[in-house]
Amino acid sequence: MNSKSQLNPISKCTVWLLWSLFLGCMSAIGQTSHTISGTITDKSNGETLFGASVFLSGTTIGGVTNEYGFYSVTAPEGKYVLSISYMGYNEVNIEIDLNHDMVHDVEISEFSTALEEVVVMADEPERAILRKPEMSVVKMNIGTVKQMPVVLGELDVLKSLQMLPGVTNNGEGTGGFHVRGGAQDQNLVLLDEAIIYNTSHMFRFFSVFNADAIKDVKLYKGGIPASFGGRVSSVLDIRQKDGNSKNFELNGGIGVISSRLTAEGPVFGDKGSFLIAGRRSYVDLLLKAAGDENSVSFYDLNLKTNYSINRNNKLFLSGYFGRDAFKLGSSFDSSYGNSTGNLRWNHIFNDRLFSNLSAILSRYDYDLEFAQDEFEWLSSITNYNLKYDFKYYLSDAFKLDFGANGIYYDFNPGEVNPTAETSPVNPLKLDQKKALESGLYVSAEHKLSPKLTAQYGLRYSAFSRFGGQPISTYANNRPVVYNPELGIYERGEATGETNFDKGDVIETFGNIEPRVSLAYLLNEESSIKAGYSRTAQYIHLLSNTSSVTPLDVWTPSGPFIKPQLSNQYALGYFHNFKDMVYSLEVETYYKTVDNRIDYIDGSDLIGQNTIETEILNGEMRAYGLELLLRKNEGDFTGWIAYTLSKSEQRTLGGTAGGPGINNGNWYNASFDRTHDISLSGAYQLNDQWSFGTNLVFQTGRPVTYPNGQYVYEDLSIASYAPRNSDRLPAYHRMDVSINYKPRKYQNKRFKGEWVFSVYNLYSRKNAASISFGQNLETGANEATRTAIFGIVPSLTYNFKF
Amino acid sequence: MKTLKKIILAITVIIFAACEDVVDVEVQEGPKRLVVEASLDWEKGTDGNVQTIRLRESTPFFNTNANTEVTGASVVVTNDDNGATYNFEDQGNGEYLTTNFEPVLGQTYSLRIEYNGEVYTAKETMTPVTDITNVFQDRKDGFDDEVLEVHVVFTDPEEEGNHYLFKFQRDGDLLPDLEEGKDEFLNGNEIDWWYEIEEDDNTEIEPFKPGDVVNIGMYGISKSYYDYIKILISQLGGVGLFESTPVDVKGNCINTTNPENYAFGYFRLSQVVKTSYTFVED
Repeated sequence: MNSKSQLNPISKCTVWLLWSLFLGCMSAIGQTSHTISGTITDKSNGETLFGASVFLSGTTIGGVTNEYGFYSVTAPEGKYVLSISYMGYNEVNIEIDLNHDMVHDVEISEFSTALEEVVVMADEPERAILRKPEMSVVKMNIGTVKQMPVVLGELDVLKSLQMLPGVTNNGEGTGGFHVRGGAQDQNLVLLDEAIIYNTSHMFRFFSVFNADAIKDVKLYKGGIPASFGGRVSSVLDIRQKDGNSKNFELNGGIGVISSRLTAEGPVFGDKGSFLIAGRRSYVDLLLKAAGDENSVSFYDLNLKTNYSINRNNKLFLSGYFGRDAFKLGSSFDSSYGNSTGNLRWNHIFNDRLFSNLSAILSRYDYDLEFAQDEFEWLSSITNYNLKYDFKYYLSDAFKLDFGANGIYYDFNPGEVNPTAETSPVNPLKLDQKKALESGLYVSAEHKLSPKLTAQYGLRYSAFSRFGGQPISTYANNRPVVYNPELGIYERGEATGETNFDKGDVIETFGNIEPRVSLAYLLNEESSIKAGYSRTAQYIHLLSNTSSVTPLDVWTPSGPFIKPQLSNQYALGYFHNFKDMVYSLEVETYYKTVDNRIDYIDGSDLIGQNTIETEILNGEMRAYGLELLLRKNEGDFTGWIAYTLSKSEQRTLGGTAGGPGINNGNWYNASFDRTHDISLSGAYQLNDQWSFGTNLVFQTGRPVTYPNGQYVYEDLSIASYAPRNSDRLPAYHRMDVSINYKPRKYQNKRFKGEWVFSVYNLYSRKNAASISFGQNLETGANEATRTAIFGIVPSLTYNFKF
Repeated sequence: MKTLKKIILAITVIIFAACEDVVDVEVQEGPKRLVVEASLDWEKGTDGNVQTIRLRESTPFFNTNANTEVTGASVVVTNDDNGATYNFEDQGNGEYLTTNFEPVLGQTYSLRIEYNGEVYTAKETMTPVTDITNVFQDRKDGFDDEVLEVHVVFTDPEEEGNHYLFKFQRDGDLLPDLEEGKDEFLNGNEIDWWYEIEEDDNTEIEPFKPGDVVNIGMYGISKSYYDYIKILISQLGGVGLFESTPVDVKGNCINTTNPENYAFGYFRLSQVVKTSYTFVED
């Protein structure tokens, strides 16, 4: 067979997509129609609304607002009723005579105002979305988050997401999250478009996202739109509030662990608004008062402001600064945190072409100070991101997203500085690494027929690793070598170094990433959807611990570490029933990831300049079934989520030789959960009292237990079973919360609310880990369970005026 | 980088200590293996002629039956250069003894064990160690600046690539404590290695107090033994959330008859300096 005529599946897909795009563009030409466009905002505070439905009543013509509240609807000339709806808001209907292109900005108001977000679980967007091909997406409004019980009174977006199917954690007290059997570093976490590298405070007990400053949260578990790239598992897109543009407003909360205060209001006349939100923990103050020398604390600060130059031009400036500090007596002091900044320019070229240009900075760094050994250890990752996105509303049947972005990375994997002349430690600076990740994309949403809608697109991503550092060379080009006699992997023999100058490119990678999804409407109440996406990830978090730590370091792809590549296939059924009061969503997925790194036994990542000598390239696969049944309306609202899944990893010897890690067999990923059931409910008794509850049951996390012991050096040494072949006991707990709004505030500007919550009501000692060792007094082996939370009651007072 | 590892451990302990308890857990039962403790330690200033090798078998993890001695094996060590052989006599209690071993620094030796019809072999080099120049006590260092710690001072040799094993055991304590070190960030410097026993609410074990005697051993070890003992030490006392997934630690004793049936343990040749320190009132 002539090999030239054979196209690989990706190329075939690409050709098909380009052809469809061409046809789509052609189809839009030659129609006589007009466009109505504008911005949808909240009447009470002027916040733009993302995801509001804008439809022409009685037709299927319409769409939803984008991240900036902008909509554009094109229809044949005629008289229509423009219908605008958004969860928890009153529907607005406007009669229009569409005989020319027109602009209509619309303000809509909430069912009830002020602190009563609790009731808002109604209307279109929180139901199963039938027509849009968008699948595997979770959108959570902050009102839903606020009605769920929380640990220690801290609202936590990430923990709320874990109540939904396909999202889990790596055990209690771990702030990160895992999506559809993917690892933590495979999630792209964006706060106002800026990458957040560490999502948790206080050793992962709390998330870095202050719920008071957040407008909405969208998690793409699959079917990632072509506009996003760089991670293979998911995208968590969090948007900060713009700030109240109508009135000055103060919000706050006083809790057990921390307190928060948010100020927002109009600025620049009526041209803009601002928001400043701060949060600080006070455990350290309590420890200090108690005379304890150890200290742990965190704070964060969210800032946002915007300025409307005119109708078609608007500027946004947003920032986030968060920091954790941990002090151990006088011997050890550490701090770490994220800082981000984003300057955006929204420009509307015309009523059909919307654009946004962003210049974004993000940085994560940590600093450890060892007083007695007289040295400090610094590490950081910084990136500069320039991004230009366009949305072209070509016709009602065809909408096009396209854009480009470039991210320049600066990695400082570690540097040691002696802090005194008497320090026993020599100064050291690991190789500073630099790289550019760029992307170009085009994506279409195409109504192929009244029942069939497709969303298809392509992303081309490229990654260049820059010089300014040496790269080690190894005998036979093998940084890791299998020792067949001892049956272990050893570091390869370094033969020298190749020096790359600052202008040099060490290596370049490029990938075509097709993304396709289809929605077929079976009837007015149900639809089926299917999707395929391919994604590439060029930077990797180095972590050989069973749970990610704040001290783990990111590393770019290069001569020895290849980009991770993922293919995901998903199929789903979506059904609304009983007058849309209930909805059912069923999805299955299958996902593979190539070039997932794993670590050789005894790998040493701390202060390691040649990471390639510590790793092997492996692969992952994950598959599962997700069910979500929701009750969306009434005094009682809530959901049941069930996930049945499997996530595995395999690492063969490859060029290093030998069978690979765990003898080359597949092993459970440490975050694999066979069963995961979550139940979340809220009950509104009256306008004073409301109640919430969570119930969670999960299969225990895979772990490696001993399978024998022997005496060596007078100690009992454990031998271990194959990797992750045991499991911790099942995890389950129940939480409850009670909200009370005293009646005396109801007609006043000042509003107050008490939130009493109990986490882990029946105080189950869920094992975060079980470790095995010798009792120091008796010498007998024993298993020690570490449980993080018993029953945790807490009380928070929230206010607003 | 022992400090960094200890810090992570300390963080874990501080946060989690209050919620630890001992539980019953069922574990798998792996294959029974030969355990070779062939540590030919040559104390500086002695002739090093008397050496013991211990052979045992592994047992299920929670097995308290200590009757694991292996008898009836043949154990021979050979000097790879001059072919001199040293037969280790079976003492009938799992110990195999020689009285005429001749240690030579930098010399490679081979071990050959024949047991149950299978042959195990290993190779290792006698590794030198530098002298301890000072031992003293203090409180201000360590994780707890209130408890006593012992300091062992020595000067790392000029050339890079020195690896150390430290063994600390207080008179009266049941178990020794092992720590490993290398000169990667400290090459050629004077090194002050401290050791303390932290307060632990879960046991009766107390920090050092005046009158306590601590026995100290500092061993020069090879790079490959360092890699081995480092994993072994990191897995002692169990593996928590912030540590690597535990693995079966493979030593250097190869079963040449049936490679699958590898042995636990190690054939190590180390020069060692030993001392002890008695804590005084400060």
